[in-house]
Amino acid sequence: MNAIIVSALLGVLMMFSGIWVKNRAAITNIAAAGLLLLVIANLLNTYGVWVIHVNTHGMLEFQQFGLFFNTIAFTATLLYVLLSGRDMERTGADTAEYYALVFFVLCGVSILTSFNGLLMLFLGIEILSIPLYILTGADKKNLRSNEASLKYFLMGCFSTGILLMGITLIYGATGNFSFGNSQPIPGTTMVSAPFLEVAGILLVFVSMAFKVSAAPFHFWTPDVYDGAPSVFTSFMATVVKAAGFIAFVRLFSMHTALMGPSWRIIVTFVIIATLLVGNITAVFQQSVKRMLAYSSIAQAGFMLFALYSDNDLAKEGILLYSIAYSLATIGIFAILIKMNDYTFDGFNGLAKTHPVLAAANTVFLLSLAGIPLTAGFFAKYYMLASAVKAGGSIWLVIIAVIFAAVSVYYYFRVIQAMYFKEGTPSVVPTGKSFHTLLIITAAAIILIGLFPSWVLNFLYF
Amino acid sequence: MSTTEILFYFLSALAVFSAIMVLVSKSPVHSVLWLIVVFFTISGHYVLLNAQFLAIVNLIVYAGAIMVLFLFVIMLMNLNTQTEPQKHIWMKLAGVISGGCFLMVLISLVRQAGDMQGKTALMKTGNIGLIGNLGKALFQDYVVPFEITSVLFLSAMVGAVVIGKK
Repeated sequence: MNAIIVSALLGVLMMFSGIWVKNRAAITNIAAAGLLLLVIANLLNTYGVWVIHVNTHGMLEFQQFGLFFNTIAFTATLLYVLLSGRDMERTGADTAEYYALVFFVLCGVSILTSFNGLLMLFLGIEILSIPLYILTGADKKNLRSNEASLKYFLMGCFSTGILLMGITLIYGATGNFSFGNSQPIPGTTMVSAPFLEVAGILLVFVSMAFKVSAAPFHFWTPDVYDGAPSVFTSFMATVVKAAGFIAFVRLFSMHTALMGPSWRIIVTFVIIATLLVGNITAVFQQSVKRMLAYSSIAQAGFMLFALYSDNDLAKEGILLYSIAYSLATIGIFAILIKMNDYTFDGFNGLAKTHPVLAAANTVFLLSLAGIPLTAGFFAKYYMLASAVKAGGSIWLVIIAVIFAAVSVYYYFRVIQAMYFKEGTPSVVPTGKSFHTLLIITAAAIILIGLFPSWVLNFLYF
Repeated sequence: MSTTEILFYFLSALAVFSAIMVLVSKSPVHSVLWLIVVFFTISGHYVLLNAQFLAIVNLIVYAGAIMVLFLFVIMLMNLNTQTEPQKHIWMKLAGVISGGCFLMVLISLVRQAGDMQGKTALMKTGNIGLIGNLGKALFQDYVVPFEITSVLFLSAMVGAVVIGKK
């Protein structure tokens, strides 16, 4: 609850700071301080201290899993603001409003990690999505940004419509907004009508799969990620996407029993389609930004394993995956934004001119590819191990490993361009603090890759 | 058949018919007008459920405000059949297949309507849709979502200002 209240208040604070503070760098500093406050507020909540006691009437439920993800998401956002805040100031004139919208997104994130019932899920998803439509179109003079924003908005509206249709069917079947188990609202009788509920669950599944860009509902992702200003793509592809997955996992871990074995068939189909589309299409991209958009689809394929296996290992795995994926992707985007040329050739010879950027970028890319000694390896390992432990199909795991090998190809193309090709990349001048932060991020990725239990212990203590 | 039943079937038939007309109409303006008919029939259903407040709100907000905005936008955009983009045949085919699959799921639902009778959530008392009870539900059980909705509207408002500003 702390996180929801504090993030909403900080959003309002950022709006007012736009009036009072004219210096844009100062606004970024206020946002960073606000995020630090948010992390602290959430940690207090984790250890039982509430800012205000609120009787939520069972609408929200705060568990260690969700609260820990909040901490991850807020810390990742803090890192993102510190690394890319300068570039956000350059995107348009309304820096303070962008930060306000980012805080509203974080409010949506903290609702999605604590919802207990479909009504709060719907509110969380909308609070998460609507600011993103705006941020996608933040670069108002750029036609592609406008196109991406409109496309995202329209597709998002359709998916919201499907979500509402599903919620309606579930409500009609059970008489309450939670999945199947709890008491009916006063004034109604509750009896089960499984087929109606199953149809509703399928629709909710479609809508959630759209939000996390799983195939075959991924068509918006490349255009939106490519068209949006790179700073906001970075935020969308990391914190927001991971939050979508947490909501997805929390939602479906409550009820998979209802669907029986047919549930796994659906998820298997979606996982294979997502891995196939994401990895194969990423191979053919010429622009690094677009490649990262497809790679985010491919990574979603791995995160979907948490839905497939639905056990404790999967929950640990999805958290580890969120950390590994968010850190690496925020880092890569922070470097990408500094480049003037987004194609693979734009990275030619970066190692000679900017050794720190190239080295950090290499660590991030290795982590995304899942090479051992980086966080990405253990993230992928946990997801696959959870599927094996849940008694899933071994073929699915083998297919996933093959696609992980395919992904190495397009990640290594960037490394190859940086180290083994001659060229003079044009890079926006970067400061010392930027380099230091990149090194810290890379070090964190390697440390988590060596000792993943350090992070996962927080889930239990 | 009682009067309520006759009204129910009449409203339902009219709702389905006008919903189909929304899709079939060639002119967007006609579609909007048919959509207003759909909203009126749905309001009629609300009245049958003894939810007068919802019925009136539905009329004022949807049939009144939103549809008028719709009509303005469509008239300003000056759409006609010539400007309509031509879709590829494969796109149409894919649409028919996926829509057909969805239709199959829904029809299989309706086929089990016999089992469903008396099983779906039913209103025990007829007064839950009255404004007093609605207000109590909204400010007691559902007060958290009600308050959190304000964050949603605030972010939409900030967004509108950011998009609209020069």
